[in-house]
Amino acid sequence: MKANLADGQTLKEMFASGTAWLEKSAPDINAINVFPVPDGDTGTNMVLTMQFALEEAKLNSDDHVSSVAKSLAHGALMGARGNSGVILSQFFRGLAKGLEGKTHFDGGDFARALAEASQTAYKGIVNPVEGTILTVLKDASKAAQEAVKNDDTLVSVLEDAVKSARDSVARTPSLLPVLKEAGVVDAGGQGLYVLMDGALQFLKGESQKMQYRRPRLVVAETQLVHRAAQRPTQLETPHGYCTNFVLEGKNLNLGKIERDLKKKGQSLIVTGDDTLVRVHIHSFEPGEILGYATRLGKLHEITINNMDDQYAEFIKMQRERMPQVDIAMVTVATGDGFFELLNSLGNIIIVPGGPTMNPSVHELLQAVESAPSDNIILLPNNKNIVSAASQVQSLTSKKVKVVPTRNIPQGIAAFLAFGYDMNLEKNAQTMEKAINKVGAIEVTRAVRETCLSGLEIRKGQFIAMLNDEDLIARADKAGDVILEALGKAGAEKAGIVTVYYGAEIKGAEAQEIAQEIRDRYQTEVEVIYGGQPHYNYIVSLE
Amino acid sequence: MVKVVTDSCSDITPQLAQELGITVVPLYVQFGNETYRDNVDLSTEEFYHKLETSKVHPATSTATPADFAKVFNKLAEETKEILTITLSEKFSAIYAAALQGKSMVKKDCQIEVIDSRGGAGAQMLLVILAAQMARAGANLDQIVDQVKKAIPRVHVRISFDTLEYLRRGGRIGKAQAFLGGLLKLNPILGIKDGAAFPIARCRNRAQAMDFLVNFVKGFSRIEAMAIEDATTPDDLQALAERLKDVVPPEHTYLSKVSPVVGTHVGPHVLLVAVLEAE
Repeated sequence: MKANLADGQTLKEMFASGTAWLEKSAPDINAINVFPVPDGDTGTNMVLTMQFALEEAKLNSDDHVSSVAKSLAHGALMGARGNSGVILSQFFRGLAKGLEGKTHFDGGDFARALAEASQTAYKGIVNPVEGTILTVLKDASKAAQEAVKNDDTLVSVLEDAVKSARDSVARTPSLLPVLKEAGVVDAGGQGLYVLMDGALQFLKGESQKMQYRRPRLVVAETQLVHRAAQRPTQLETPHGYCTNFVLEGKNLNLGKIERDLKKKGQSLIVTGDDTLVRVHIHSFEPGEILGYATRLGKLHEITINNMDDQYAEFIKMQRERMPQVDIAMVTVATGDGFFELLNSLGNIIIVPGGPTMNPSVHELLQAVESAPSDNIILLPNNKNIVSAASQVQSLTSKKVKVVPTRNIPQGIAAFLAFGYDMNLEKNAQTMEKAINKVGAIEVTRAVRETCLSGLEIRKGQFIAMLNDEDLIARADKAGDVILEALGKAGAEKAGIVTVYYGAEIKGAEAQEIAQEIRDRYQTEVEVIYGGQPHYNYIVSLE
Repeated sequence: MVKVVTDSCSDITPQLAQELGITVVPLYVQFGNETYRDNVDLSTEEFYHKLETSKVHPATSTATPADFAKVFNKLAEETKEILTITLSEKFSAIYAAALQGKSMVKKDCQIEVIDSRGGAGAQMLLVILAAQMARAGANLDQIVDQVKKAIPRVHVRISFDTLEYLRRGGRIGKAQAFLGGLLKLNPILGIKDGAAFPIARCRNRAQAMDFLVNFVKGFSRIEAMAIEDATTPDDLQALAERLKDVVPPEHTYLSKVSPVVGTHVGPHVLLVAVLEAE
């Protein structure tokens, strides 16, 4: 055995170290998912997937790297969580394929395995997007292959791969506009880099030091622009149930399974090998999918979720007490206070969702279809939901007017402007006029240090955005930021200011701020519990 | 000459009634055991003071058939034609009372009873139209014809600061859609098919007043307009001032909602009614 050959146990320890490293940075990875509101589960999902992979590998005491890699792949496949988790499981599947039949491995083997991992990951995703974890993996694998030409020791190859991954992560904003806009790097790519970096540190014998250090995360080089990046709405045709299972069998034909299932649903992901296949699909007929699969082998880990359960229940409840009306309203909101408020104002179907969880076209369509009228006014209450809302118009036989409300105060103003004596067109016009008379200030805490609209912002400071576009104030106290923002938004001219306080705010604090607003701006102020996540306060001026 | 009769829910001021020769039959308002004739035994000012201070909530009751019969019999001594315009039958039994009153009259006199399909300012404009026609010498059939034709051209908007009075009095109708809102709102109601109807909701008084002004400005031609308040004369004057270039003051009638109407709409209403030109 050559000195620079590593065995299966080394592979296991590399990734154990990588996972520990990843765990340390998971909160930060979660946080860069979206700014200013963290929508993060990328870091958490990757850690959970890795923990499954390691659990499985721990049970394998075999020294053969081929065997351990298979265990890691199997565990990752069983435990894949979220999009990043699925890609990670593909990564390990490719790695196992590349190390197939080997008892030990060196840098050259690892480079080939990485190339295989990269190809497998790309294949597993129906529409691969550059500027994500896929790109980082591809770049790392290329660097590894280059490195082999000079020095094929494992440490050297991995070192170059990690360095390349790091550079690649830094470049993700230039490849993916949504990242550039938010001034962040890709979270999944960051996760992969940290995982490999942790593995490298183990190989370098620096495990001890790692205990007292934290991963050096890549930050975006591009200047942050002021707009909040949000998860793009998934434009999917209707789906019913998110169906997941692991199929165990012999001589399974992945390609055929994929072709067969493609006809039966959307968002299909088929990963695995000829003995174990993980399937993820959105379908209206989960029974048909399971029926098909049971003819091929044994099923494990079956989960079938009605993806719309929560709001379907909600809609059902609302529908039961809703008589047929001339014009029905459908809107999007988040926060128990807002649900209650909207319901108190009249019959309206609420699709749960907001800044960081944009409902899909399908969810909106379902709400429209269930609404007790053939004439619908749709209030998206978020600029990122407006386009999804517009899609709905062509998918239903009902007449749908979208009044492009960009935030919840606009949505409430539009709802209140609804005229019972007006037809659909006239109402939509009246509402559009009404929403232009409302200003919305959204207050949140900065999730990281940044510079926005020329203002230096420290992590944890309160920031206020006006009409979800311009950052107009920042301060250490919520009250100060609201008062300053109101001044800039023209509070002295407002007839009424409404303070909607979030889930984490105490009513007494909101009342105190309201009194300060009254004192300073001599205006009518109303305080309402919104219960919204992410935004500590949403303040409207009318 | 045709004599015009109406009930006190038309909110016609005593001066205008006298000027136009209109007979007003009062409804009744009760605080506990005390009964008052609407706008006769109890002025609007006294009433609203009582409404806000009295421990008992007032109740209202319709004028009786006998009240109408008495008025009809008296008027029949000087005319052969009487027209009565009442509050909407959806709000009160007064239309039925007037019809019964008519059947009790033995004298040789033609009496017509018309349901105004509204109340307050909306009813007032129809009564004024009828009285003016009568003074101009129109006969009963002509007036009845014109008033019936005018009913669909009367539009009213009422701004509330609470719908509690309307709900308590059981006259909220479809406007119950506006009940229970967790926001402080100024709902605007109209009258449709003789009953209260939800129109829109404003966030405060200023917005509500803008709404009323824009409502009036939305008509191309207006024959007459009524503006009413209950306890807020300054707001009434402000509205009148903003609308004086839209409808000439000589066609604008300012009044206060009567105690009986006030019992059901509360002390902070503002109301605008217009008679759209043909």
